[in-house]
Amino acid sequence: MKARRWTVCAMASLWAGFAAAEDPLTVVGAFDVRWVHSTGQLSYLDGGLGTLRFDPDHDNLRFGRAFLAPQLRLSDIVTLNAVVDAYGDHDRNLVDFSEFWADIRPYPSNAIRWHARVGAFHMPISLENRGAGWSDVYSITPSALNTWLGEEFRTIGAELEARWLGAGSGYLGDVALVAATYAWNDPAGVLLADRGFALTDRPSTLFGGLGRPPITFYHEIDRKPGYYAGLTWRHHDRLEIRALHYDNKADPGASTVAGGGAWRTRFSSFGARLEPTAHWTLIAQFIDGDTVIGPDSAGPDQFVMTYHAAFGLASFEWGRERLTARFDNFGTHQSSGFNGPPSNEAGHAWMAAWTHDFDYHWQLVAEWIRVSSGFPPRILYAEPSALSESQTQIAVRYRFHLGE
Amino acid sequence: MRFFANKITLSCLIALIGSTCAAGELTTTVIDRLGHGVSDVVVTVALAETRASRQNPATAVSARAVPTAAVMDQQDLAFSPAVLVVGVGTLVQFPNNDTVSHQVYSFSEAKKFQLPLYKGVRHPPMIFERAGVVVLGCNIHDEMVGYIYVTDAAFFGKTDAGGVLRLQNLPVGDYRITVWSPLIADSSATLTRDVHVDEHETAGSRLQLTRELRAHPEPRPRRADWAY
Repeated sequence: MKARRWTVCAMASLWAGFAAAEDPLTVVGAFDVRWVHSTGQLSYLDGGLGTLRFDPDHDNLRFGRAFLAPQLRLSDIVTLNAVVDAYGDHDRNLVDFSEFWADIRPYPSNAIRWHARVGAFHMPISLENRGAGWSDVYSITPSALNTWLGEEFRTIGAELEARWLGAGSGYLGDVALVAATYAWNDPAGVLLADRGFALTDRPSTLFGGLGRPPITFYHEIDRKPGYYAGLTWRHHDRLEIRALHYDNKADPGASTVAGGGAWRTRFSSFGARLEPTAHWTLIAQFIDGDTVIGPDSAGPDQFVMTYHAAFGLASFEWGRERLTARFDNFGTHQSSGFNGPPSNEAGHAWMAAWTHDFDYHWQLVAEWIRVSSGFPPRILYAEPSALSESQTQIAVRYRFHLGE
Repeated sequence: MRFFANKITLSCLIALIGSTCAAGELTTTVIDRLGHGVSDVVVTVALAETRASRQNPATAVSARAVPTAAVMDQQDLAFSPAVLVVGVGTLVQFPNNDTVSHQVYSFSEAKKFQLPLYKGVRHPPMIFERAGVVVLGCNIHDEMVGYIYVTDAAFFGKTDAGGVLRLQNLPVGDYRITVWSPLIADSSATLTRDVHVDEHETAGSRLQLTRELRAHPEPRPRRADWAY
């Protein structure tokens, strides 16, 4: 009886909030079509071990991405958010959810503001993917580091943030501590071990897969939750620093009947974005970690791999134009569990991009990217271990905003 | 809505008082360490508590700020003006003329409030009854910060681009000038000056800051497709 009364009260207050909210439903969306020229090897998305999204067999006119990001305001402090994606490739779902979460942001009653997210969402690491639908606002293709985070990771759980708001103390900035617990991320690490780092704007969706045959990422195998904890510091709306430690706490000995194993994946990440003037943006990020699969009793047969990736980006914007350049460096190192060529990758990439906004809706983006990398498992595909691949894309994007 | 701008408030107040008293003029200049004028600094001018004013409290009462109205707008993801100075008892309206909704709040001791998500003019004006600094924020856009300086001083205003505030028609007497800005890092104890205002004479007060101003970044242009 008590429970029913509580439910009625909760529904009533929710409805009151809904009725009072301004524009309860807003939708942001975008799609893009591209002309692509690629000199790369067969992309891993098409069954090869190439590091780019497109390859010579899949270039010319291409569909890039279409997404809708609706937000439903349930009350003044609670919203439901989703990102629904279509990439037009071989994914088993033509349209799929990439994120879906409830956002709870109470008003601060003192200098600490609490913020919670519950559902499936990206963790707060990338300093490039600050656009709607986790899109990269500086170019088409994010760095190797953020590409990988988009491919293999989604927080499917709950995240809590406590943010100290400095303005009340005369400081123009704030500091936030964030922590999350999650499940269904035990396969994280499998793609990095199989392929190494790549540079694409093709993150995974929640129910789809990447590659041929498709790898899926969001399974709970060992029934043990993972966690991450981090810190964000925003100084004068000019400098943002993010540090985070991730550990999915997976039992590397656990596996499913179907043969899928749990990868114990841990890393630490650090990044800084500086906007010293109204025109310049400088970003640097790095990640360093390891991944393990196979029971501890397996000894030298247990697969153990460390990895690192870093990039530096400089971007200059004026009027409707933006020019961006980025250098990536990345690598993996397998130390045990050899069963064929080692998953030792060493690579770097250069990227240059130009964006032009015709108006709010239409944008032109031109991007050139060149990746040089060595990865011994490529010889199993009758490809040279060392590759130099390049890709040029000219994209036309249309975006819209409904509501508000 | 601009009718309620702060300067108008000040003019009304001055006219009200100036019509009944012998009056003088006061110029306050705020300069930084290098001698450059500092703009948008709040200057409050309160009757000094002298033996005469204690014996004749009517003088002080007559010069107190009268309740009036002011506007704190929201445009381009920023409060406008960034710093508003009002007298105690002022009604402040918070229109949102931005393209997106905002949730304005303050947890400052001088005024705690929340304005649920809105655009346009949705909430009635609020009265600010306690003197102090009210720091404003938006619960959705953390980069939005604004300040309302609520004062019980008789006269107040903000310095112009040259760091100067001229107040006219002040009743003859002793005053204490206090300056404040979120960018001033000097100790508040060093930010007051005592001055005597005489009839037919311009009193002047010059206040040079000893510490560097806090950084004041220009608003960063927001791109149309940015989520944050």
